[in-house]
Amino acid sequence: MTVLSPAQNPVPETDSPLVLALPKGRILKAAAPLLHTAGIVPGPDFNDEKSRLLRFETNDPGVDVVRVRSFDVATFVAFGGAQIGICGADVLMEFDYPEIYAPLDLGIGGCRISIAQPRDRSGQEDNPNRLSQVRVATKYPSITRRHFAARGINASIVHLHGAMELAPVLDLSHLIVDLVDTGSTLRANGLEETHTIAHITSRLIVNRTALKTQPERITALINRFRTALAPAQTRDQQS
Amino acid sequence: MTDDPPFNPALLPAGFVDRLPPEAEAEAAGVETLMRVFAAHGYDRVTPPLLEFEETLLSGSGSAVAEQTFRLMDPDTRRMMALRPDMTPQIARIAATRLPDVPRPLRLAYAGPCILMASNRGEGDRQISQAGIELIGPDRPEADAEIVAIAAECLATLQVRGVSFDLTMPSLTTALLDTGGFDGQVRGTLMRALDRKDAAAVARHGGELAPVLIRLLHAAGPARGALAELAAVDLPPAVRALSERLAATVAAIEARVPGIRLTVDPVEFRGWQYHTGVCVSVYAAGQREELGRGGRYLSNDDEPACGLTLRPDIILRAAPALPSRVRVFLPWGTPAETGAALRAGGYATVGALAPDGDARAEAVMLSCPLMVVDGQAVPVDGA
Repeated sequence: MTVLSPAQNPVPETDSPLVLALPKGRILKAAAPLLHTAGIVPGPDFNDEKSRLLRFETNDPGVDVVRVRSFDVATFVAFGGAQIGICGADVLMEFDYPEIYAPLDLGIGGCRISIAQPRDRSGQEDNPNRLSQVRVATKYPSITRRHFAARGINASIVHLHGAMELAPVLDLSHLIVDLVDTGSTLRANGLEETHTIAHITSRLIVNRTALKTQPERITALINRFRTALAPAQTRDQQS
Repeated sequence: MTDDPPFNPALLPAGFVDRLPPEAEAEAAGVETLMRVFAAHGYDRVTPPLLEFEETLLSGSGSAVAEQTFRLMDPDTRRMMALRPDMTPQIARIAATRLPDVPRPLRLAYAGPCILMASNRGEGDRQISQAGIELIGPDRPEADAEIVAIAAECLATLQVRGVSFDLTMPSLTTALLDTGGFDGQVRGTLMRALDRKDAAAVARHGGELAPVLIRLLHAAGPARGALAELAAVDLPPAVRALSERLAATVAAIEARVPGIRLTVDPVEFRGWQYHTGVCVSVYAAGQREELGRGGRYLSNDDEPACGLTLRPDIILRAAPALPSRVRVFLPWGTPAETGAALRAGGYATVGALAPDGDARAEAVMLSCPLMVVDGQAVPVDGA
């Protein structure tokens, strides 16, 4: 990996700090140690749940962080509002923005996108492979449509933002497609996983144009994460 | 539905905009500046039509843009016509069909609007403006360098700051995958992973090539470092020839335009799909879109050609606003020669159309900071 020093850079790059978009919630908790190892320490307000601020300075004057919903990280980075972000691969699959590069698998936030259906219905005649159309409740309409289309099935989507597990129970849909971690929510609501569409981890993502126009700064930041990741991966391999 | 809102007469189809003052004039002036630079380098202007028959517009180098193209039927001949999404295939057609006997290298320039089915993101502009040059004939690094040098001069003339050129060699990736024996769905998956710079997926699907591909993936950046990395990896001879051509083009550009900012991305292959050799994308610091794009391709009759198309509509956002003409109000009865002298001096004159009324108030209303009093242009509010 070649990182050129700024002295070799004939044009001064923009002085404004890079914006790192972080997702609220589950992934942020998992990413915290990684951010710490990479030497990115957001201001004290960042961890204050009550703070109304959305943008925070960090110990590095060249990096600011913003805290947005996990689905919005990809959008902020795709449109260049943030140059870099941490985002679940599920969100990348769903939006499929060509403007986003995903150079680094952070190995955190591991889970899977799965199809689930009511336990009492499994093995019955409504095996989705026999249907030409199936109604699915999901917050991933694109992934769901693509998955079923590849199997010759039209998925009609019931687009929900939460409590997917209720949909089959209340007869909104035959199936759900949702993010599954331990599966306990599914079990508690009488559903069972029938198929895994994809395994998911969080990625470091980068805006394409930002990487082209500011390769030195962006690459240096990616390398900080890569280095922060390296000891963890070695540890995993040893254990 | 009974509750449809009334149709608003200002509404345009998505992706189409009215350009108003002063942007409309700034864009026209910007295109004029570009065309002047092109002409000064011996590029002769051609103007192809907006519509062509589908068979001609979308054949040869145009086939790559077929899916971006609006089509309509010619009610006369019942043949399908296509609205151009890109002008380069038209220039290739002109070079092959109308100007085959003109000695090469043939240098042509063009400017005009194009219509896309949808922008890459599915939203955004569907009518775009293009202004570009094509150099048809020699397949040499110096020809590639001329195209880039002229584009750099254009952007410098328009005072766009922080311009950088990203050079790629799409055929390098495909040749590398060919030697690796990738085909079918695996190849598609791997190409997609490379396109998104998804190192994890490249590692998973790249097989024996994965270490080389990942190394090249990480090499993207300033030209010198990227080429050094490219030179250091072990490449099959066919791929090595492509990487040497890329290096030769970088050297030719740097020789011609000292101090130019070049980046190289060895495994990038995005763009209009017709390119066969070195490709270039133009960026400016702080701009979120490409200012232009070009590269080497085979013109109709497989004649080598390279070109670069700038996007005046996007450059306009990156370029500083040009000083516009100062407006001077001419009250009723101002002698014609007074107005003519002011126009010759670079002012815009706004004449009263009726003898009555308060000239000063009218000048203010029509955004004129100056008005003529006693044959002299004086400030409206200071007089």
